[in-house]
Amino acid sequence: MSIRLAILLSLVACSALAADLQPFERGSWEELRQKHAGRPTVIHFWGLTCGPCLVELPEWGRFAPATKGAEFVMVAADPVPEEPADLATTLTKAGLSGIESWSFADRFAQRLQYEIDPRWRGELPMTILIGRDGSSRSILGTVDFGELRGWIEQQNAP
Amino acid sequence: MRQSAWLFLVMAVAGGISAASAQHQHAAPPPCAGADLACATAATPAFAADGRLWVAWSAGGQVMVARSADLGRSFAPAIAITRNPARIDNGPDARAKIAIDGNGRIYVAYAVFQDERYNGRVYLSRSTEGGGFSEPRPITEDATSQRFETLAVDPSGDLLVAWIDKRNAATARSEGKAYPGAALAFAWSKDGGTSFAPARIAQDQTCECCRLGIGFAGPHRPVVAFRNIFDGTTRDHAVMTFADANTPGPIHRISVDDWKTNVCPHQGPALAIADGIYHVAWFTNGQARQGVFYARSADGGATFSPPIAIGTKDRAERPALIVQGHRVWLAWKEFDGEAMRVRLMVSVDDGANWGAAETIASTTDASDQPLLVGDGRGVFLSWLTKKEGYRLLPLPGAS
Repeated sequence: MSIRLAILLSLVACSALAADLQPFERGSWEELRQKHAGRPTVIHFWGLTCGPCLVELPEWGRFAPATKGAEFVMVAADPVPEEPADLATTLTKAGLSGIESWSFADRFAQRLQYEIDPRWRGELPMTILIGRDGSSRSILGTVDFGELRGWIEQQNAP
Repeated sequence: MRQSAWLFLVMAVAGGISAASAQHQHAAPPPCAGADLACATAATPAFAADGRLWVAWSAGGQVMVARSADLGRSFAPAIAITRNPARIDNGPDARAKIAIDGNGRIYVAYAVFQDERYNGRVYLSRSTEGGGFSEPRPITEDATSQRFETLAVDPSGDLLVAWIDKRNAATARSEGKAYPGAALAFAWSKDGGTSFAPARIAQDQTCECCRLGIGFAGPHRPVVAFRNIFDGTTRDHAVMTFADANTPGPIHRISVDDWKTNVCPHQGPALAIADGIYHVAWFTNGQARQGVFYARSADGGATFSPPIAIGTKDRAERPALIVQGHRVWLAWKEFDGEAMRVRLMVSVDDGANWGAAETIASTTDASDQPLLVGDGRGVFLSWLTKKEGYRLLPLPGAS
């Protein structure tokens, strides 16, 4: 194998491991919902500046990649946008590099929060469950993964 | 192979960058990089006795101050407080702080993140005889973590710094004990900020991510409003009145909102005191009530009036208070999906009755919290917005 090819392959492997963060801007929420429409989706809002989020993140890292029956999305919702590199490092460390990830990319965070849920004031962590029928439910604070598993099973019940 | 992947390879080989930093291809436009006020996300005002307005902010990793002789319309060249760029705490309830004493001495404080866990270190600088500012120094020897510092010059002229401190939390964790939140700490300087008495802890297990409200019941009698953690889980507001400079009094719950949560509210209270009446405004998302509320106490914080809901339901946030004589001004922000408005209510009878709310300023992009500031004659809204820049607007109803 040529050196060049070896570098290429190792970089491809690296880029697959690193979380690919998409900028969450005006309209991103609608885009995200449409993309997952008709399938049970768990959207977890977290932040680098949120202590409880960082404590909980490794649990998401164990749960999300190993759980079938729902699609998982991580959204970094720091009110002051954080460096994508820092977010990607934290996501990768938590075992979430393979999960679809977005990051707030507008300092006018209230506008993004309003599009997601007009009642949400940006408290983190926050999780939104969107069912097959499009109905959604917000969970403020850390989640009970047992209950979350129950919701996913219910969504997939025949 | 996609073209972007090839570009990625070339960049990675040429620049030796990590895979993670290559994600910038998707990132937001680069933020304003300079140290100008225009690049700041928060600006804090204070009036000097000579009527000049001083504003402190952080931008581009620097903490800056500038003075204005024309109520914020123009500023003298900004002065750098920091000697080297640092990672200044710019969280939603953090900002550079400024206080000015009766002799015109200016104090500036700010927190720097020390690590990736958001442990902070608070630094203080004071104005010097020659018109400059001293090299910033830590306010306490303990290096564990300090954030959400607040500066207040007490009626005797001494300087109080209060902040959220993690030293006791770190000790508890090292002993395997639970310690929700962080401690409310304070330190006094009796020599104009040159030195500080050792830091003391006023209250353990308070919210670790909220600003403090500080006023004085008299010389050396600070009053601190803060988001406490009751029973290890409930983040409701409390007030504490010191018996003397170093004796924190008992804490009194301002309102049983019953906000049981482990989220970071990033929203601390506003406190103003005049004629022995404590005025408090705060945000909660508790079981008992949700939104911004106002209450007052006429008995030194022992009991509070029933909370009054402020502003539009589900929209009000970030309250600010100022008192002058019997007049009380209460400002807050409201976002309606398009515009962010600063709303204002005025009371002329110590907060017993309030006039109708009115909009006094608005913007359609990012904005700082609304702050209220007085110079002993007038009272003003101080508001930094991304689109319009810094504004100082006289409030209606000033005597």
